[in-house]
Amino acid sequence: MEASITLKKVGKLVGDKTILASLTFGVERGSLVAVIGDNEAGKSMLLKVISGIEYQEYGQVFINGLDAQKRRLEVMGSISFVPHEVDLDPWLTLEQNIQFMGKLYGVDTETVNTRMVQLARELHIIPYLKRMAGELSPGIVKKGMLLRALIHDPEILVMDDPTAFMDAESYRHTWDLLLRLRGQKTIVYVSQSLQEVEEAHDRILVLEDGRIVLDGSLDKLLGSTFEFHQFQIEFETLSDDLFKILSKLPKVKNPSRIGNSIHFYGQERNVFFDVLNAASAAVMKDISVQKLGLQDLMDAKYAKDGIH
Amino acid sequence: MIKALLLRRFWLIRHRFITTLAFMIILPLMLHVSITMVMKNILVHSLSNIPYDVWVFPGIILLIAVSSTFAMIYRDLFDLRIHKKSFIPITMAPYSKFHLVVGFLTTSIIESLIYVIFAMGILTLLLSSSLPWSAYIIIPIFAFLYTFLLGNLMITFSVLTDRISTYLYISVFMFLFIIFGTGVLVEFDFYPKIIGTILSYNPLSIVLTQLRQLLFSNTIQGDLLAIPVVTSLIWTWMNGALLKRRLKQ
Repeated sequence: MEASITLKKVGKLVGDKTILASLTFGVERGSLVAVIGDNEAGKSMLLKVISGIEYQEYGQVFINGLDAQKRRLEVMGSISFVPHEVDLDPWLTLEQNIQFMGKLYGVDTETVNTRMVQLARELHIIPYLKRMAGELSPGIVKKGMLLRALIHDPEILVMDDPTAFMDAESYRHTWDLLLRLRGQKTIVYVSQSLQEVEEAHDRILVLEDGRIVLDGSLDKLLGSTFEFHQFQIEFETLSDDLFKILSKLPKVKNPSRIGNSIHFYGQERNVFFDVLNAASAAVMKDISVQKLGLQDLMDAKYAKDGIH
Repeated sequence: MIKALLLRRFWLIRHRFITTLAFMIILPLMLHVSITMVMKNILVHSLSNIPYDVWVFPGIILLIAVSSTFAMIYRDLFDLRIHKKSFIPITMAPYSKFHLVVGFLTTSIIESLIYVIFAMGILTLLLSSSLPWSAYIIIPIFAFLYTFLLGNLMITFSVLTDRISTYLYISVFMFLFIIFGTGVLVEFDFYPKIIGTILSYNPLSIVLTQLRQLLFSNTIQGDLLAIPVVTSLIWTWMNGALLKRRLKQ
């Protein structure tokens, strides 16, 4: 498929600190890409560089094949950004904020109004359109910001924490809209909610210290990185000897102990039965087997070092 | 773009219409009471024998233009940029930074001219002798040039400053300079010779001096007037470059 966004060796410095370090990747047209990572990983800066809010220090960003820096005016009409923080004009109504942006992008009044009503209906914010933006709750404002970003019908939508401040219902309305747009628009977003990312993505980029450390779908990432299960057994009493015996079993990986519980990883589920056999003499209180998720992937220890 | 920015200004005025109207009425009256009425007891006539209240009239009008331009530029390029963050979405629209600066200048000048015309109407009623009708055309034209120049100055420090305390400090300094250093209140002949000469070649002073010359002696030095015009045009271009650099876009 054709690339909508292409980064070639993009680097960004703030002072003498490297925020983005020689990033090279492409985003396919119409795909939904989630960017995750720890604080200070460079996620927000990556979005700013892609959306043209800040230029990179070196490297190139191409939007639909056009150099975003050299041909900014051609590129900017096809991209929209929803920042994490509220950036509506508080002294205008929500409707006026949206209409202003539509006018600024040269969209005619009728199209702006039709589009605004349709999107506002999907986001359930019709009753708030006539209210001053400064008086609205942050969750509603965030939906208004999304609507404003879509008013000129951009091909690429870049969002920093799109559902921040939202209640469960608003979250659902927002994702209903975004998933409807999936395939029509290229969507790149950052989220702190791993559950949100697990639910909505074609591809996940894991950023660490300005570098992409993992890239792919959740299944691909978990499959290629671990193929592990996480096991936990709680005993009535877990003696040191028993913990040592269990820890030395060949297929038990990264065992750890919390009180009377042993916690370990295993690539095959039958490792669990080996452990149960070895511990059959001890009284067990609880057992759990869990497939690894994005949270485990994001756990720095495993993301960096893997399971040994 | 200018249409969108104008529409936004219209909405903003509509939301606080009473406050704006009060500002439009109170500001000229306040300046008349605190400046004209006081100063005309000290300086009854200008050096060219024009009644002081008539002589100071164009200066007062330009002060009103300054105040309204300041409010708009502060809001758009400082407050919305630093505090409300609403400036960034505007910079993402497909326009060059030069066009953005021109857009902000144009909207602030147009709005200022509305305030200027309104203030002229109010203050005319309080003048001891009437001005020729041509003054009501000439003053807005010069007010346009004055706000064009001053708007650029305000844009420069709005873009360069990130702290409100610094901004306020610069603003106070700027207002003091405009009032006492550009010939608004007294003629430059009252200043020490060297200082008066230096101040009279400030582009802002040139606009006001030429305006008074045209109004009261029907003469104008076109070559001198070219200085503020050229300065404004170059400054607008430089502000575009400055904005681009500051935003790192």
